[in-house]
Amino acid sequence: MAPKAAAAKEKLIDDEEEVLQAVILADSFDKRFRPLTTHTPRCLLPICNAPLLDWTFESLALAGVQEIFVVCRSHAEKVKQAISESKWSRPGSGIKIVPIMTAKETFSAGDAMRDVYTRGLVTTDFVLVMGDLVSNIRIDEVVRVHKERRKTNKDAIMTMVVKESGENHRTRTTGDQSVFVLDAATSECLHYEHVSGYPATKTTRIPREVLEAHPEIEIRNDLIDCSIDVCSVEVPSLFQDNFDYEDLRRDFLHGVLTSDLLMKNIYCYVAQEGYAARVKDTKSYDSIRLVPLLATPLVSEHISSKDILSRWTFPLVPDDNHPGGHVYRHSRGNKYVAAEVSLARTAKIGNNTLIGAGTRILENAQVTGSVIGRNCVIGAGSVIDGAYIFDGTVVGAGCTVRRSIIGAGVMIKDKTNVERGCIVGNGVAVGPSGAVMPFERLSKRREISAPRSDEEEDSDIDDIEANQPGDSISVLGGQTNAVIWPQGPSEDDDEDAVVEYKVQRLRRIADTGSDLDYSDDDDSAPMTDDESDDSQDELSGDGSFDGSEDDSDDEAPPIIPGTSNMMEEAEFQSEVKQSLQRAFKEGHSVDNAAVELKTLRMASNVPLERVREAVIAAVVEAIPIVPVAATQRKEISAVVGRWGPLVNNIGGVDAVQTLEALQMHCVTSDRFPLFGQILAEFYQTDIVEFEDMRKWHGSAAAKGEGLSEGPTTENVKRSWVVAGQLMQQIEKLENESESEDDGDGESGSGEESDSEEEDSNAKTQPPSAVSGTNTVEESSAESDSEEADTGSEEEDSEEEMKTVSPANPAVVTKPEAVTKPEASTDHDKVKGKAVTKPESSDSEETSEAGEDDSTSEEDSEEDDSEAEEETKINPPAPPAKPESSANKDKPESTVSPTPAKAESSGGTKINPPAPPAKPESSAKPEITAESSGSEEETTSEEEDSDDESSEIQNKPPTASVAANPESSAVQGKVETNPETPKAKPEAQAESSENEDTSEEEDDSEEESSEEETTNNKPASAVGGSADGSKIGSTPPVQTKPESGVKAGPKVESSEEETSEEDSDSDSEESE
Amino acid sequence: MEQPQNLRVVETLAWKLRRRQLVGSRATALETLVVLRQVISKSRFSNIEQLVSIIRGVGRRLVEAQPKEHSVGNTVRKVLHHIREEYHTATGGSTTTTSPGFSISKFVMLGQPRKQTALPKTESKNTIKENDPDDPDAFARSLKPVLMEAIQDVFDELETVYDNVGKNAQNHIHSDEIIMTLGMSKTVESFLISAAHHRNYTVMVLETAPTYGGREMSQALSAAGISTFLVPDSSIYGLMSRVNKVILGTHAILANGGMFAIAGSLLAATAAHVHSTPVVVCAGQFKLTPSWNLYHEYGALDFGDPSQVLGFEEGALVDKVDVVNPFYDYVPPNLVDAYITNDGDHPPTSIYRLIKETYDDEDNEL
Repeated sequence: MAPKAAAAKEKLIDDEEEVLQAVILADSFDKRFRPLTTHTPRCLLPICNAPLLDWTFESLALAGVQEIFVVCRSHAEKVKQAISESKWSRPGSGIKIVPIMTAKETFSAGDAMRDVYTRGLVTTDFVLVMGDLVSNIRIDEVVRVHKERRKTNKDAIMTMVVKESGENHRTRTTGDQSVFVLDAATSECLHYEHVSGYPATKTTRIPREVLEAHPEIEIRNDLIDCSIDVCSVEVPSLFQDNFDYEDLRRDFLHGVLTSDLLMKNIYCYVAQEGYAARVKDTKSYDSIRLVPLLATPLVSEHISSKDILSRWTFPLVPDDNHPGGHVYRHSRGNKYVAAEVSLARTAKIGNNTLIGAGTRILENAQVTGSVIGRNCVIGAGSVIDGAYIFDGTVVGAGCTVRRSIIGAGVMIKDKTNVERGCIVGNGVAVGPSGAVMPFERLSKRREISAPRSDEEEDSDIDDIEANQPGDSISVLGGQTNAVIWPQGPSEDDDEDAVVEYKVQRLRRIADTGSDLDYSDDDDSAPMTDDESDDSQDELSGDGSFDGSEDDSDDEAPPIIPGTSNMMEEAEFQSEVKQSLQRAFKEGHSVDNAAVELKTLRMASNVPLERVREAVIAAVVEAIPIVPVAATQRKEISAVVGRWGPLVNNIGGVDAVQTLEALQMHCVTSDRFPLFGQILAEFYQTDIVEFEDMRKWHGSAAAKGEGLSEGPTTENVKRSWVVAGQLMQQIEKLENESESEDDGDGESGSGEESDSEEEDSNAKTQPPSAVSGTNTVEESSAESDSEEADTGSEEEDSEEEMKTVSPANPAVVTKPEAVTKPEASTDHDKVKGKAVTKPESSDSEETSEAGEDDSTSEEDSEEDDSEAEEETKINPPAPPAKPESSANKDKPESTVSPTPAKAESSGGTKINPPAPPAKPESSAKPEITAESSGSEEETTSEEEDSDDESSEIQNKPPTASVAANPESSAVQGKVETNPETPKAKPEAQAESSENEDTSEEEDDSEEESSEEETTNNKPASAVGGSADGSKIGSTPPVQTKPESGVKAGPKVESSEEETSEEDSDSDSEESE
Repeated sequence: MEQPQNLRVVETLAWKLRRRQLVGSRATALETLVVLRQVISKSRFSNIEQLVSIIRGVGRRLVEAQPKEHSVGNTVRKVLHHIREEYHTATGGSTTTTSPGFSISKFVMLGQPRKQTALPKTESKNTIKENDPDDPDAFARSLKPVLMEAIQDVFDELETVYDNVGKNAQNHIHSDEIIMTLGMSKTVESFLISAAHHRNYTVMVLETAPTYGGREMSQALSAAGISTFLVPDSSIYGLMSRVNKVILGTHAILANGGMFAIAGSLLAATAAHVHSTPVVVCAGQFKLTPSWNLYHEYGALDFGDPSQVLGFEEGALVDKVDVVNPFYDYVPPNLVDAYITNDGDHPPTSIYRLIKETYDDEDNEL
């Protein structure tokens, strides 16, 4: 028969499809709704007269979920019973609901997840929700997206559903908001931070890595976290592996995002339509009109209820698909009145009201914005405003109930006032003529004989009953059976409780929190906010945090760093030392060592700062002390060159801090005399930038201010002086080279061109700084030579010949020798110096050469464009170097251009790091310049104009940021970073190509032809790729302003100097 | 045995209806029919009363699940009507012959109300035995094939409804006319397309916020080669003077001749009324609903999710404003000029008669 066949077919299809499973965590793991939840689990509190859990089931059923596991802890029996009695266990509901009772020891969502794992409940991707969810979001769509993503990316373990909302939305509970950092293209969640209401979170910090790896990000504070997660099977096992995860967001999400080891991705699904909210607290209860009845129940109940009554949850609305199966008639003004309600003729029913079946509203009663359960009686002349009254409650005549949650079976006798924000537990009797103060919580006095099972709660209640203030009871009216729950935290509560209490207040219904003094506690409890993430602070490491920064998660009072912490740190330091010693001895790669350190840090939960200090200490100590100055210098550069990159590889870069740490370590170490040299070496290897040095040097700490007198302070001051000398020299050289740089006159602090120059300078200076000898001579000598360079190309070429040698792998040290003569006094201290000089002159020369030729016509234009390029993409100049040097090298070492280059970069530690990253982008300027020189002017002009036009196109969006080099230095680095990594591979390939080709031709032809070829090649390549990269690089710039706008709280992104990349690449190559 | 109204298929459909996973009058009518067929084929009954009560039970369950999808109840009533008819035929009782092809022109001739009482028949043909104690299933066995046929008839009607509505389209639309329509209605679409085979005319489609069904509609129409304009809702009144005819779809036709149609219909009908532009409604007969007073009920307009009107993200406003988003408008009968059904054309005033023909009185309350 036809229907049968059809049915059979359906079955088949069903079998093929995977059953969509859901896990409901039906325990809130908190007590916000007490005392309503002392006898009833929160998920069974009624909202709009149907248990919260039913709304959740309905929300899931709407999404096509077929199997639901309900994990319940408190009052598990009741939950189980409720489920078995509900319509869901009838056949045909299409949903299989399995209650899971977890052990009493389950205290957090994390524990519940571990339980889910051990029981092996889930077999496939599943939906994880809380037991207090009201939603009409198409979760099946989210699941589909999730599965789709899983097909291509196995590491996408979770998709969180978030909903857009305005900044001030009633469903958003103050103090329970979050900042999400999303990848704009993929919605991958890159960073998550909780925004606590008290103390108010005003800033958020975004780890630098995020900005680096993603060209375009959104920072959003306007998302409601719906607590709907589509998880893959790995998620419970992750909880199992990380036994300390408790909260789904703060621990799990944050843990996964910050973990360097897991390599898992979490995505967000920004629901455009649909509604979802949790009845987390009383404030949100109000919104959905689902009433969670505990500690601060009113608020969430209010919000939830409101949203339901105003039909945001459609089709989950009282008159349509009421989960309790009740029938309500919907009438104008969103009034829902069940059929069997008896309304007095003179009773007034206001908008947004729901009245359950069997309820009687007597004469002259007014009910507005409230939810009244079944079989209630509202006495004559009573006023019910914004209250949530559960089944079977009787309100006498002449009462007033405002914005409160009244449990089931409550007797509010005549002429009693219940003020806003109260929670009255089940079965309480109040009055007559009583008054319940705002935010009072009442529960029924227990019969003494009543046997209690829940010891823990028992003791609570005992306490409360024991501590009843006699006078306040009498206020409640003569016939009351109520006990009053303590308002605030009692005296013996610790500070945490105070804060928690204040946070809770923000969540309570009808509590605006306006009387909370946000500032007062800033010093007394700065760190108690358990959400402020220490590791984040450190990651961003903008030096703003003070020394008292310790682990806020542990309960240690913030003011005293705690002896236990000291011990831990000491332990950690020694472990780091050991691990590094091992690494030094066995010659690990920097990457491996970094991973080891990260693991170590994770394990001992130590701020990044400490790690940095430890690393620096270890590196410094690893430098052998040699009596001979020259060899000493060699040793330093060897050690720093090999291990320096590690400093910036441990998970975050903060050069200023690095310098501080270096100083602090050196002054206490027997290597203090080496401080100047080490510092110079740090600078030269791009571990720190000049700008950082300046910043550091200007800081009070660097000068040794505030330290008690003693040899250490003495040393600090001395080191400060040494550093000052060094910096002066750097600056001087910089200025000189800049002035040479024909009109390229921006002082661009952090930019590449400068840094190059600085580099070149740096080479010269360190010696002077270190030994205090007359570097002046040297530098002057150098500058002389440079000047000479500019003067004549021939000279340049000669110098280039010198440069060639550095490129030659074998000769690493020798180049210095070559140059030394020039750098008269302070011989071979830093090998790199000599090497670089030629190069730097080189680059200058090339750019000059180009400019000389072409600039005559378009000086200003080029300058402009360069300036811009510099800000946008770091390194115009550096690329020029490798090529040109390579070209020139050829005559001598035609053999392998690429290796040569690699060495020049790696072996000599100079700027080389930069070249690999930049070649592409930098290629552009170079090309324009060179081609104009060697080829016809027309082409060069065309190219120029191309570049310019492309720039012009890019400009508008970038303008604000990029136009002003200074501002970009402040703001901008962020932009460039994300791009460059991408550019790198290409760039390298290109540059090597160029070299190849140029090399071949080299053999036969003269320089000029070489130049041509090199120019041409890059030109073509650049036309496409460089421009492309540029265009690509702009979007990030654009987004930032946007995202900045979106994000509510201020966003502080720690800025990076571009050098960091350099150092990275450095480290790679140095192997 | 399980109560028939608790059968799995019934439950499933009821849930779907509750959750609005199944919407649209024709879709729900078809689903209902499928369910009824399964129920009948599975259930055991030994006389006509039992059968009727089973079906009514199922019908009640479904209607309660979603009282706003009127075609569910209508379909159940129609099936009941057919069952009785088949039963009477099978048992040899005379029933009034339903005359095919109602139309306004034949209205007067068909004036007499149908006789409601079937003649009490002597069990002349003993082909069907009710209440046979020896073999309680005998009745069901012999009647079931007939019932299946009856249901198949309803099926066929539903399936051909678009064709039949469009059958006379060229008689209603003339060349070079300008037609206004709104919302997305399959019936109207097929009506217009079938008219386009014979006539050359222009259609203005209103966008129909907030559902914007008009956009879909205009695409479908222009794809069929009809010259189509998509106009904003605000221009209803301004354009009305140029419009020759307003053609609307509907959700349910009430017994008084009024109807529920997508929000915006009332606006269009009123504007048309002011300009004395004819308003024609295309609908299948399964939309005929034997209720008179639904329009008194505020909730009958089916208020939906306000987010279509005011985004939930507009937090500040959402707090202070109550937003309503009715899905339907009630269009009173005086604003409608004619109903074009798959069974001929009718003025609103004769709808009550049509309903009386289609359903049995006792089924008005399931």
